[in-house]
Amino acid sequence: MATDTPSAGEAAELALELRGITKIYGSLAANDAVDFDLRKGEIHALLGENGAGKSTLMNVVYGMARPDAGEIRIFGEPATIRSPRDAMAHGIGMVFQHFMLIPVMTVAENLVLGVSVGMQQRIEILRALDRGAGIIVLDEPTAVLTPQEAAELEGVLRRLRDEGTAIVFITHKLHEVLEVADRVTVLRRGKSVGTVPTEGASEASLARLMVGRDVVLQIDKPAAKPGPVALEVQDLHVFDDRHLEAVKGISLEVRRGEIVAIAGVDGNGQAELIDAITGLRHPESGHVVVDGRDITGCNPREARDAGVCHIAQDRHRRGLVLDFTIAENLALRDYGEGAKMGLLSPGRMLAKAKQLIEQFDIRGGTPDTPARSLSGGNQQKCVVAREIAGDPNVMIAAQPTRGLDVGAIEFVHRRLLAERDGGKAVLLFSLELEEVRALADRILVIYEGRIVAELPPTATDEQLGLLMTGGSAEAPAP
Amino acid sequence: MSTDATPAPGGAPAGPAGGGGATVGARLTETLREGGPLVPVITVLLAFLAGGVVVALTGHDPLATYKAVFEGSGLNWLLPWVTGEDRDVAATNLQQTLIITAPLILVSLAVGYAFRAGLFNIGGTGQYIAGSVIAVWIGSTMAGLPGWLHIVLAMVGATLAGAVWGGISGGLRATTGANEVITTIMLNYIARWVAIFLFGLGGPLQNSAQPDVPVSNDVVNDAKLPVFWGDPELQGLHIGIFVALAAAVVYWVLLNRSKKGFEARAVGFNPEAARYSGIAVGKTYFLVMATCGALAGLAGSLDVLGWQFRIATNDVQATELGFLGIAVALLGRNRAFGTCVAALLFGALLSGTSVRNLDPSVFPPELAQNLTRIIQGLVVLIVSADVLIAMVFKRVRRRREGAPVGAAPAEVTV
Amino acid sequence: MSVARQDFTERLWGSFKRPEGPEPSRRKAFAREHIPAWIAIALGFLAWLITLPPFLVRTWIPSLILGLIAFTLALSTLYGGEKRYGAWAMIAALGGTAGAYGATRSGVANLEAVVVWGALMAAMLRYATPLTFAALGGLVSERSGVVNIALEGMMLMGAFFAAWGADKSDSWLIGILVGVLSGMALASIHAVFAVSLRADQIVVGTALNFIALGLTGYLYVDIYGDQGTPDNLPQVPELKLPTDSLGFIGEAISNLNLLVWGSLLAVLLVWLYVFRTTRGLRLRAVGENPRAVETVGIDVFKIRYLAVIASGGLAALGGAFLSIGFVHSFGENMTAGRGFIALAAMIFGRWRPWATLGATLLFGFSSALAQRLPEFSEQAATLFQALPYVLTLIAVAGLVGRSTPPAADGVPYQRESG
Repeated sequence: MATDTPSAGEAAELALELRGITKIYGSLAANDAVDFDLRKGEIHALLGENGAGKSTLMNVVYGMARPDAGEIRIFGEPATIRSPRDAMAHGIGMVFQHFMLIPVMTVAENLVLGVSVGMQQRIEILRALDRGAGIIVLDEPTAVLTPQEAAELEGVLRRLRDEGTAIVFITHKLHEVLEVADRVTVLRRGKSVGTVPTEGASEASLARLMVGRDVVLQIDKPAAKPGPVALEVQDLHVFDDRHLEAVKGISLEVRRGEIVAIAGVDGNGQAELIDAITGLRHPESGHVVVDGRDITGCNPREARDAGVCHIAQDRHRRGLVLDFTIAENLALRDYGEGAKMGLLSPGRMLAKAKQLIEQFDIRGGTPDTPARSLSGGNQQKCVVAREIAGDPNVMIAAQPTRGLDVGAIEFVHRRLLAERDGGKAVLLFSLELEEVRALADRILVIYEGRIVAELPPTATDEQLGLLMTGGSAEAPAP
Repeated sequence: MSTDATPAPGGAPAGPAGGGGATVGARLTETLREGGPLVPVITVLLAFLAGGVVVALTGHDPLATYKAVFEGSGLNWLLPWVTGEDRDVAATNLQQTLIITAPLILVSLAVGYAFRAGLFNIGGTGQYIAGSVIAVWIGSTMAGLPGWLHIVLAMVGATLAGAVWGGISGGLRATTGANEVITTIMLNYIARWVAIFLFGLGGPLQNSAQPDVPVSNDVVNDAKLPVFWGDPELQGLHIGIFVALAAAVVYWVLLNRSKKGFEARAVGFNPEAARYSGIAVGKTYFLVMATCGALAGLAGSLDVLGWQFRIATNDVQATELGFLGIAVALLGRNRAFGTCVAALLFGALLSGTSVRNLDPSVFPPELAQNLTRIIQGLVVLIVSADVLIAMVFKRVRRRREGAPVGAAPAEVTV
Repeated sequence: MSVARQDFTERLWGSFKRPEGPEPSRRKAFAREHIPAWIAIALGFLAWLITLPPFLVRTWIPSLILGLIAFTLALSTLYGGEKRYGAWAMIAALGGTAGAYGATRSGVANLEAVVVWGALMAAMLRYATPLTFAALGGLVSERSGVVNIALEGMMLMGAFFAAWGADKSDSWLIGILVGVLSGMALASIHAVFAVSLRADQIVVGTALNFIALGLTGYLYVDIYGDQGTPDNLPQVPELKLPTDSLGFIGEAISNLNLLVWGSLLAVLLVWLYVFRTTRGLRLRAVGENPRAVETVGIDVFKIRYLAVIASGGLAALGGAFLSIGFVHSFGENMTAGRGFIALAAMIFGRWRPWATLGATLLFGFSSALAQRLPEFSEQAATLFQALPYVLTLIAVAGLVGRSTPPAADGVPYQRESG
């Protein structure tokens, strides 16, 4: 038996061994001959931009996806895993980003379902852990946690590791890798580009591995020159789909030439606030004023005509029509312009698409390429290009870099700053504190439908984290 | 599960909330991209093959049967070596085929346009009935109007009636979220029973001259569509086919070149993104279903003014046109040209297996009509699994080109 | 066991214990605030009932008074925010009063010819039976997340093959067996395409309806030709009960087909299975959130396959009753849209077995009445046929409470979408 220390050498017993795993979706190799080793008693991070194949690889291990080629060995034994049940029998547990309950069922029914099968799973895992043979896969477990909660979880993971459990930790956050993992395997576009110990690695070196080149993470930001108020929200109350009050009297101002960031844990009223400003949802009371004009309760098109643009949170679901071509997507907001007798003007759409593709450096297709076949970063560029092209006065950017790789993040950040410096008012919603600090001129913290504090961009993680979770606003300044 | 899902195979839905690719329209677009026009051809061949197996298993000769159906459809008129009396028979049969094809094109476009907007219009039948009821009502009254005005009036009336009938489903979808599949099915039956009520014995629109026959009044002579090929007394081909072809052109323009069509397609692919970009999704649903209803209603007027001239309660109960339109639209990939070709195919199949056209010594028409239904069903079934065909195609093509399987596509981000 | 392990497992599956929203309240049919609505519904019925045989009150006044009380109660319910119950109460109040008016203006002889309660009830049960079986089939399938609009075709298969099987084997039991197997066979195709190939479920259902219509029509013509099915087709026996002395209800149930009782038993069994067993719970969970269910180790595909195939068997049973229990012969397209009415009944019954039975009985009653009405008025009889469809339209439109299908209903499950 090998030692249980995380820094054990080549002799350490392998809990999980993947050889040449290949998984093809359509024309895309989500995993292309990926090798992966997991030792007993280590936390092994699986790092990569979204869509790099991390989840696919672990779904293969957990029996949620079947590989087209490759071999899986568990504690040295070849294993065939066809379903999660098989995986559990091998002592593998996988924790998904968020395990969804079934909302129309009662708690009791959910519990019964959970007890009858979840309990079985729990018992399997615990048995496996007791044998010292457990393998745990966590898929972006911190995505929905506050910084404090994430820190707690990391502590638990370390203790488990010390007891001999093998842990795979899927993430695309560099700092998490360095904080919690012993080794890290980086996936890039379906291929493993290497496994390195975290000791001696830096965020910059990992980012380089992820993207394949050097990336500037911190952007030099000239000081803001705030102008007159462009967006004013006055005592806004908004209800959510369940008719519960989600925004409870928010007032804020965004001036031209500044970026105001709203920081908060997901689900504290951000979505409803965005909806109310962009005309997607009628507020219960209060006002939204753009350049002195009251646009409260208008529809999305009227909001846009008033100068509000919106980089929607989820580009697949809301930002783009994936089966439309690039040109059609770029025209999604202004296809009516130049239309005669209800007919489109294809020439104008094409010319505009060519211009925006050039201007925003959208790669991977011509105007006639379906947006679906673009990479995530280029898809997001389409969204950003379309929204900025309308020459808005107010930009609402909701998690504009979610799921993007480092390079694309940099692009979006630069673009937002350019808009700011061009005299636009930018309201940024983000869950990433790093992003908030990097871009914002002022930070507003949202908690349970209220703005609970305003902080400068120099605020610390601890301060923000505390406020975001309803802690006291009187945290000591750094 | 990552937020940025890996592209799903063949453009299939990426999950319950998965935006694009979730609708039939989106899937069909995908297939077209992959397989080209060859896929529908293969689909039809497979369906005919399976139908032939049924024929053979029950002790008949499939080849002779298909040949008789082909001749019954009159498509042999197109063959230059068919001459003399055969050619005259073929011409009469072809006229029948085209008479059926015209409304079929319209009803299929009514299904196809809904597909493109992410809606499933099973209500072609009801919308068709609504149109034909109004057409026969206008056509059989107001004698003395100039012929062309009477015809236009009857057609417009039928179109509007169909639009109302379809609009109900669209409006309910827009305002209450009621599933259009269910509401259109219900409206089919409601239209059916209302029509039976109207033309049934003692009904308000029942024939005034024949009080014991459950049938409508006859369309007056001036309101009948002119026949341009064949004998008007023997159901020659009326000008309805041009109306249908014109509608197909309008359909193409509407779908591909108009603002409303752009909105419909955007909503069809991804209603959420459409809403975010300022398109009124509910209004689009309503307009699309009303447009579909209008097309199907127009189809009803073509049959009434073109060759039926009256509606019997039996006709109302027997009409399967709306369902047939689903098969045609799916086979035609919801495209204008494809739909016309597919409609011709099914029109030929229907008239080729009719009692009037099929040679009963070769194959009994009663069997043949059921064979048609089986083939229809098989076509739809195979089309439903189009993703499968698309994948097969992709494999074949890749193997042919010798490209490595799973080669990562395209560009590096940024 | 170490603290870390306990702590960890707690975190892993703690979410099971912490539902995000408030607990969905179970709809209580007899909650206090609904009592006025129920009284209004009862009064509405009573207003109509007293003008019918055997009561035959010949003046409209008592019914009008009852109707007004019901109307007031309905209004107060609507005012109290109970839209769904209020709307139903309103329909009962207005409908009952209008019905009473119609009855008092009709001749006594006509009324007595149409309203023969025992016969009406028996006919209602008979008309409802094929719908009940098929609707239960639809329920099982849709609860697992697979829309089944091929119920019509599955019924038709059951109807033909039950007749054929009974004819060839000279045994109604074997006939039923053959019928049910044929429905299951068609359902298996549905399962392969809808579940494994992830085809659009409605498109597949449409295709199967065509195929069933064509296939049964083809075989019927080929085998039986002009003569039709033989007159001596073995039939499902009727169950004679000595209940004639128990008033019109006794009359109604004294001589019912075995399968009529079977359909009622099926409702009970389906209810027990779907809502009172762990397996039923899993079935429902698959229909709501297949991915969540898969991650805890349940085979989504297996459950959906079994549900769809069971659905085909149930629908075919309804068809078998139609041919060898009710009509005693087979005819082309003899189901004539009953599969779609069954679908409507299931939606009307909100995907719940007992409520679905209520809907099929309602539809059965309207058919029974439509069958007797021509003696009274041909026109009214025809319009009555449209009633089930109008009611269903109203129900799905949510005008009287929204019908919410299982969340994953109609969504093909794809295992590998991570």
